[in-house]
Amino acid sequence: MLKNRHIQGWLQASPLTLILIGFLILPIITIVVVSFWQATEFSIIPAFTLENYEFLFGSPVTYKVFFATFKYAAITWALTLLIGFTVAYYLAFHIQNQTTQIALFLLCTIPFWTSNIIRMISWIPFLGRNGIANSMLQSWGVIDQPLEWLLYSDFSVILAFVHLYTLFMVVPIFNTMTRIDHSLIEAARDNGASGFQTLIHVILPLTKPGIMIGTIFVLTLVMGDFITVRFMSGSQKANVGRLISNDISLLQYPSAAATAVILLITVLIVIGILLRFVDIRKEL
Amino acid sequence: MSKMRYSRRAVLKGGAAAVAASALPAPMVWAQEIKDITLRQFGTGVSNLNDVANKVKEDLGFTLEMTALDSDSVTQRAATQPDSFDIADIEYWICKKVWPTGNLQAMDTSKIANYDKIVGIFRDGKLTPESTIAQGTAPHSVGFVDGPGGTSFATEETGWMTLIPTIYNADTLGIRPDLIGRPIETWAELLNPEFKGKASILDISSIGIMDMAMVCEAMGEIQYGDKGNMTREEIDKTMAIFTEAKKNGQFRAFWKTFDESVNLMASGEVVIQSMWSPAITAVKSRGIECVYQPLKEGYRSWGGGIGLSSSLSGMELDAAYEYINWYLSGWVGGYLMRQGYYSAVPETSKNFMTENEWGYWFEGKPATDVITSPTGDVLAQAGETRDGGSFYDRMGSVACWNAVMDENQYMVRKWNEFIAS
Amino acid sequence: MEKKSKSFYVLTAFFGLFILFLYGPTLTIGILSFQGPGGGLTFPMQGTSLNWFRELFQEQAVGDIWGSFRRSFALGLMVMVTTVVVSVMGGFAFRKRFAGSGILFYLIIASLVIPSILISLGVGLIFNQFGLKIHWATSGFGSQLTWTLPFGLLIMFAVFNRFDKSFEEAARDQGASPWQTVRYVVLPIIAPSLIGVGLFGFTLSYDEFARTLLTAGSYNTLPLEIFGMTTNVTTPVIYALGTMTTLFSLLIIGAFLLTVWVLGKRRARFGSDAGKGV
Repeated sequence: MLKNRHIQGWLQASPLTLILIGFLILPIITIVVVSFWQATEFSIIPAFTLENYEFLFGSPVTYKVFFATFKYAAITWALTLLIGFTVAYYLAFHIQNQTTQIALFLLCTIPFWTSNIIRMISWIPFLGRNGIANSMLQSWGVIDQPLEWLLYSDFSVILAFVHLYTLFMVVPIFNTMTRIDHSLIEAARDNGASGFQTLIHVILPLTKPGIMIGTIFVLTLVMGDFITVRFMSGSQKANVGRLISNDISLLQYPSAAATAVILLITVLIVIGILLRFVDIRKEL
Repeated sequence: MSKMRYSRRAVLKGGAAAVAASALPAPMVWAQEIKDITLRQFGTGVSNLNDVANKVKEDLGFTLEMTALDSDSVTQRAATQPDSFDIADIEYWICKKVWPTGNLQAMDTSKIANYDKIVGIFRDGKLTPESTIAQGTAPHSVGFVDGPGGTSFATEETGWMTLIPTIYNADTLGIRPDLIGRPIETWAELLNPEFKGKASILDISSIGIMDMAMVCEAMGEIQYGDKGNMTREEIDKTMAIFTEAKKNGQFRAFWKTFDESVNLMASGEVVIQSMWSPAITAVKSRGIECVYQPLKEGYRSWGGGIGLSSSLSGMELDAAYEYINWYLSGWVGGYLMRQGYYSAVPETSKNFMTENEWGYWFEGKPATDVITSPTGDVLAQAGETRDGGSFYDRMGSVACWNAVMDENQYMVRKWNEFIAS
Repeated sequence: MEKKSKSFYVLTAFFGLFILFLYGPTLTIGILSFQGPGGGLTFPMQGTSLNWFRELFQEQAVGDIWGSFRRSFALGLMVMVTTVVVSVMGGFAFRKRFAGSGILFYLIIASLVIPSILISLGVGLIFNQFGLKIHWATSGFGSQLTWTLPFGLLIMFAVFNRFDKSFEEAARDQGASPWQTVRYVVLPIIAPSLIGVGLFGFTLSYDEFARTLLTAGSYNTLPLEIFGMTTNVTTPVIYALGTMTTLFSLLIIGAFLLTVWVLGKRRARFGSDAGKGV
């Protein structure tokens, strides 16, 4: 019976396992292998070399770019958490009517279903030197000269990240919040806790799993991104993803693979640390 | 599904074609079946136009499938996915990279009807007998191989071409005269602090490095032995100058795609930048002043051509030759020239242009009437002349060609660093 | 908290701003897509017309919008069906807590967090090394599954975490075979969640860019085509396309919501029938 259960389990999980082996494990192995290969301008040569890693670790640009990646991830995380938590809190505790709650929740999620590229490029006419934001600010007399840093800057990159990924914070936090037993909150209030105290001492700790799941989403999405940085910085800024995609577009696959390996290790370490704080399976 | 159908058909046709080719060399025989032939062409958006595919269907009967990609993806696909195309519409510097992979086959010039009329640039490298050949990957230097299976480039015309030239132009900086308000005469202006935060350069390494070299040379900072084949030190020095400028905020953005350059210019984000000819006309057609500024150091030039996949054979190969001959017979040439490019066989294109158009685009004469693009946009009014003048003025002052250098690998990594810095 | 406090109004304002932030840019391009024939990609507007939507239905100078749309739609459906089936099977498997399920679980998490471009690069390299042709329906399909399956499975975990086992036990007590239990008890209960999984599968696939970038082969999917259009298109036709795809996405969500609603209704009715029967 016990043995049977294991076999049955693996049988049912076999399509999943096969897909993950074919399109996750094998590609990772290939990347690791290729990262030790040599390249010419147009092809890769299966001959062992450490040159890719030597170049990677030997270039000051690498460290700068990894730093930029962490910077984007950290700032985006802080902003999405702040906004995501507030929005989820509002929906979960201030909207009493369940239909309204669902309707407003859907309103938040709808943009998530539309094309990321389209959502990204939508910012450009808004933020440009002669864009809506600058014209408005100028007509209101707030500024004399157009603000240059609105577009093609760290600001616009992070703005786009927050725009694209806040939902990944809202959804898990909202999910956890709706599962908080309301009697706990009432108990806190009955004991004389202010709204703010309840928030800090009761709701926040209970929402931690949702925050962690949201954090995992946001961090991995931002750390792996390459297209947002390219579009929103006008190619002036770089993160690790862009380093990889640049190498790919220049046909430098081994070099791209080496960078990819380091990025993968970094992401897995970050996620590994986060997973210590939350049992995803239990908290879903 | 479509793939299976394709391979079965290819087998059947291959056999049929072998028989037909040995018995009756005339193309009439397979006129019936030619309708079923599909050739897959890919290349940059510059010449991969659906209008061309439609005209092919109309004139030749077979189907041409077009896929438009950016230059890097084009290189990638030509080098790594030989099965994904029949016809590669690529640039000559890409050819230099891709040819050694063996993914393309040499073409027999005796089957090209208008071969003798192809301009000298693509044959012996000389526009006119007196011309000197510019630096860089000049098209003729990678245009020929010794024979059908040749892997290294020949130095002279051999009768076996790598690419059939189709389109080329001389590039320079684009400017917004209304926002600059003074004459611009040299490439060095790109790094002039006056345009801090309002300059741009393209992020395509093989082309961008040449623009950089033009600038550095014009500034008097670097004397290159050969801009088209830099040494590591020259590459380092060039990149250092531009990295410094980037850190100082000289550039508003880098562009990788045609459309980005148009938008940067049209929206006023940028007032001076590397640019391509039709991008200028796209800006102009919105009623915004924009000049393709001739500069005293000369032009950076590029050329594109059609290459055939090495897997093409039999009827498909015959169809491909038909297509090439049709390409050079004038209709496409006229279409491209009316956008500001040049055709490899200008004299056939002339038949497909009005006298006014020919005068404006090729001879550099003032337009006698409104000049419109093939799609009907107004590009110039009567009395205006083309920036840079006639074909011979423009193609005659080419300073260098887009190039792939011996140190390309090194340059590419340095380029990646520059973009990431 | 029942009384509308000051914090309620502050938060309502915040929420309003958030919604504006979410929808603002989409509205911007929505507006720009209604420009006149002379319009560009940026403000100011040059007249108003439906010109760019008409243009969208005509052939473009380059590319093939509708072809890529059909491919994306087909691929989305393929991914959707596969995601639903594989996720449900996986969900059932994980309930058995079989030996090694922990490793498989971490693989799923890895699949979720791995940067998309790595999948694209890796799959592209494998196909290249083995001389296989990359195609959106093979390599592209597989690559997208590594993104949709984790979502599907996480939803299944959430569903089974909340699943009341007594229904199954009751069915078994009544003499239902394991298959009958699944077919007539478990599946109907989790059906609305399966629609959710399907919706995720479809839209994640329909909008996927990075994982398809190096794995789609000769023919572009819609996001790749949109990306390509930024290369060749300098007119608001790309905004018109953006507006259209947004509307299409909304339509899909609408259709799914309607299905959920209808299913809910039907189940409510069956539920009452069952009650009468007993």
